[in-house]
Amino acid sequence: MSKPRINQKIMPYILSAPSLLLISLIIVFPILYTFYISLTNMNVYNWFTFTFVGLRNYSRALFVFDAGFITAMGTTVVWTVVNMVLQLSIAFIMASFLGVKQLRFRKVYKTILMFPWAMPGYVSILLWKTGIFNVQFGLLNQWLSRFGIEGFMWLSNNVSAFVSSVIVNLWLALPFMIMIMDGALQSIDKSYYESAQLDGANWLDQMWHITMPSIKSIIGPAVIITVFTTFKQFDVIYLLTQQAGGKTGANIHTILTYAYENAFITNNYGYSSAISILIFLFLIAFSLLTRVKLRDNSKI
Amino acid sequence: MKRKVCIVPIMLIIIVMLIGGCTSNEAEGPVVLTVWHDKEQPIIDVLVEALKNLEPEIVVQFEKKNGLTEALKLVGNNPNAAPDMYFFAHDKIGVYAEMGILAAITDFLDASELDALVPITVESATYKETVYQLPLYFETLLFMYNKEWVTDVEVLRDTDSLLMHMEKAKRMGRFGFVEQHSNAYYAAGWVHGFGATILEASGEPKLNSEEMKAAMTYHKRFVSFMPGESEYATVNTLFREGKADMTIGGPWMVPTLRAAGIDLGLAVMPIISQTGKPLAPYTGVQGIHVLKVSADSKADEIKTVLTALIQPEVGKNIALASGSAPANEKAYEADDIKNDDMVMMMRATAENSVPMPNVPEMDVMWTVMTNMLVEINMSGKSIDETVESAQKKALELISNMK
Repeated sequence: MSKPRINQKIMPYILSAPSLLLISLIIVFPILYTFYISLTNMNVYNWFTFTFVGLRNYSRALFVFDAGFITAMGTTVVWTVVNMVLQLSIAFIMASFLGVKQLRFRKVYKTILMFPWAMPGYVSILLWKTGIFNVQFGLLNQWLSRFGIEGFMWLSNNVSAFVSSVIVNLWLALPFMIMIMDGALQSIDKSYYESAQLDGANWLDQMWHITMPSIKSIIGPAVIITVFTTFKQFDVIYLLTQQAGGKTGANIHTILTYAYENAFITNNYGYSSAISILIFLFLIAFSLLTRVKLRDNSKI
Repeated sequence: MKRKVCIVPIMLIIIVMLIGGCTSNEAEGPVVLTVWHDKEQPIIDVLVEALKNLEPEIVVQFEKKNGLTEALKLVGNNPNAAPDMYFFAHDKIGVYAEMGILAAITDFLDASELDALVPITVESATYKETVYQLPLYFETLLFMYNKEWVTDVEVLRDTDSLLMHMEKAKRMGRFGFVEQHSNAYYAAGWVHGFGATILEASGEPKLNSEEMKAAMTYHKRFVSFMPGESEYATVNTLFREGKADMTIGGPWMVPTLRAAGIDLGLAVMPIISQTGKPLAPYTGVQGIHVLKVSADSKADEIKTVLTALIQPEVGKNIALASGSAPANEKAYEADDIKNDDMVMMMRATAENSVPMPNVPEMDVMWTVMTNMLVEINMSGKSIDETVESAQKKALELISNMK
């Protein structure tokens, strides 16, 4: 009698062991190794002869969390919120349009919309930087010049550079969100809407009482993933405004670009690892908070 | 049964492969030396040709490596992953020497053999009194002009004339002169022309000196007549499309400019009217470095390769292929070189230029100096305050390196 019960207990672990091993190698090991390095004095002067220094790097790392870091943290939060709100709204609208039955060539549009996702992010960002925003040769200023308007330096002041970065990030991130949103909308049973219409519900009522609750559980994980991807984003802002040899004059920093300029360029791996671990702990705390919040909402 | 039949040959193959992997690799055959590099193919072709004679005993394989400097940090002391040598500029010597992955060149070549090289190249390759690089050629920025807009006679000899030309050109809807004004490498010429320095040889930053403030103030007058963006693509394209009359650029720009049909002229750097000294950009010395992991096991072969590469013929052929200045003095005796305007201009400019510092501290100074230039030239911040905060940041980052 007891044998099958043991098998039932052990079997899931045996089946998931290969994936767990892979996750351990790809995710857990680098984190643990970074933590180990953060406790050493590994730098240019002690590259292969580094020794254990305890928490010394952490006490130094806290100095990087200065006024500049607080500003960068604020920028990161605004960046995440703005991007998420826009991504969700635009993806919802686009997916709704794509769901209209009378729309011809729907599949073609869906395929085209996936195109930015298929392109490497690095290429897309540099194409936007040189092809669209460039002062001399960019498409935007070419259009302005047709109307006799003087060219604008899109990436040189903080506000326009931030807006430009958001636009590029939307271009990169929307395909994923549209795909998830489209799938979520398609999964709703159409009979709900028919019943609601018979009961006299208007478009807003249907949206609020049928569509939103139905798609929440499907888009929830995608939103969480995107929040974290956006929060720890480095490439869009760095490549558009701060790339070595291509700085534009805008001074917008997320926590990662700030940490890069203030720690990682020093070649002090012990110190940089300590900063990475602190940022990692911050993200973990943020993740736990989000999970608790979502769980509370689902209870309601 | 069928499954067992399949498993047996698979097991046999694995066993054979394992046994194969355990056999000694001391079998007779050529000694293969791997060289990582980041250079253009014409330059590598010259080296391949020069080392062909060493085959079949020694085979040198050149591997183009993206992110070479970072890769060396990760595997520089790993005999299974590191190359035997690498071909790169001298400015990373301090970093790798401190890491302990570089072997001294004098372990393979007699110090007297280096006397044949242009002194500035050997000085650049020396860190803490040890020569860590065999210099092959050196390069710096050149003053270039488009002969369609500026004739040889009109080429501006001083910066005040240059400024007047820029003002005039702007009124005509053109750019008189363009450069990557907010990039530390390109702006260094102006800094040195004022007697300022970014980093002392001792590794001490000097961003808040009076000379630096004067250089920034003077340079900013020119920036106002240049395009707002100063990245390589913009500057290069403006000059290549004939929208800018003059520029400062490296020899690597020349082939594309000539291919684009630009009637290119080269001139010595203009004299800064305020100081009477010419713009003095950084010089990069390109050469071969030997990694410690191979220094003992392949010492004889490495010595043979370095001896072949120090020959004047190699320097001459690289110069003709790339337009850069050979490190070997004897290469300049060849008529091909004497008659090559670009190579001779490169040498003349390089002799007035400043070798890039090779101390590890320079690694952080590129970012700090560039940020300082961006804040002054593009964000319009006060020069006095910006240089002070940049100096503070440089000291902080250098302290964090340790």
